[in-house]
Amino acid sequence: MKIEDLEKMRNEGPESLPSEERRKFLKMGLVVTGVFAGGSVLSLTSARNVYGMLEGIQLKHYPYKPHYSMVIRQDRCIDCERCKEACVKTNNVPEYGYRTTILEREIPIGPEETQREFMPVLCNHCNQPPCVRVCPTKATYKDKKTGIVMMNYKKCIGCKTCMAACPYNARYFNEEKRAIDKCNFCFDTRLSKGEKLTACAAACPADVRIFGDLSDPESRVYKLIHEPERVVWVLRPETGAMPNVYYTKG
Amino acid sequence: MKKKLAILLGIMMMSLGVQGIISLSLAEDDEEADYPTEPIVFTQPVKAVVFDHKIHIEDAGLDCDSCHDDIFEQAAGTAEENGDFTMKSLYEGKYCGACHDGDTAFASNTRCAVCHIGVMGYNRMHKVEGAESEEH
Repeated sequence: MKIEDLEKMRNEGPESLPSEERRKFLKMGLVVTGVFAGGSVLSLTSARNVYGMLEGIQLKHYPYKPHYSMVIRQDRCIDCERCKEACVKTNNVPEYGYRTTILEREIPIGPEETQREFMPVLCNHCNQPPCVRVCPTKATYKDKKTGIVMMNYKKCIGCKTCMAACPYNARYFNEEKRAIDKCNFCFDTRLSKGEKLTACAAACPADVRIFGDLSDPESRVYKLIHEPERVVWVLRPETGAMPNVYYTKG
Repeated sequence: MKKKLAILLGIMMMSLGVQGIISLSLAEDDEEADYPTEPIVFTQPVKAVVFDHKIHIEDAGLDCDSCHDDIFEQAAGTAEENGDFTMKSLYEGKYCGACHDGDTAFASNTRCAVCHIGVMGYNRMHKVEGAESEEH
């Protein structure tokens, strides 16, 4: 096909291409700028000139008010685990479970050279939460006002289907409650009492966990995510869950 | 018969290997017993940060006078007890910040997890029970 022919075609928009597919091009240093003829022809450009990049994230509108969100500045995490301690204390989390934890891995930084990296994880409070979709009793639900994925312990029958459905391994069965427990951004323990931050965000000495209202352009989370030249990503974008926990470096 | 031979050979090789390691470490001890060979692990103000004398002496080419007793007191735990063993102090050129300024060595506000081994690293070094299950 000639370039002139391509120019006459209607651009179907790169949104229709799976994010996994886009990732592949990104790794080659290319960005998909258009899809033509059902994806059989792609319009590509060098990623070098592209500023901030949102990997697998769709920023169109924020359906909640406040739209609670967390940005994790991953490379600053030092695994001091004060966040975990604060979470356990605030939300009475038993020893056998967690609402938030830290993962560790060695990332290659050169030939035969690796560097340690810590990665805080928690419930991603997805806009399309797979856990909510599979719950047979509607014990877990998306709060209509804040977007927080909450639990109604009384309705939970402990079938653990949500645990299996969660792409982020963010749920555990609480023996004392006889129900599934999970992070709720400290809604009952802090936010509803007027606190502005979750316990983990307030406890972090390295300013890793930035918490706030994504629908407020004045908030730190909004500013970080919309900063030009900043690369922001989410975990497991291919699930289509549209998480509200974002990751970035620097 | 073949199997027995293989096992015998294996045992022989293992014992040879162990001997090799022992003699090697003995030789090292003889030469450089003038600095702590085990890494130092700081737990204040955050858990945990590792410092390895070996890397700083053998790879970076420092000697005792480079840090002792101007930047760090020789007595273990002094820096942690001072109350100002913080990242802020490092940025001001104190403690590790004397070299880790982006000039002599990588800057203190970069590559955090090179020195910060975290609670997981601490547990691994001290063989805390249940440390494995936390790592996934």
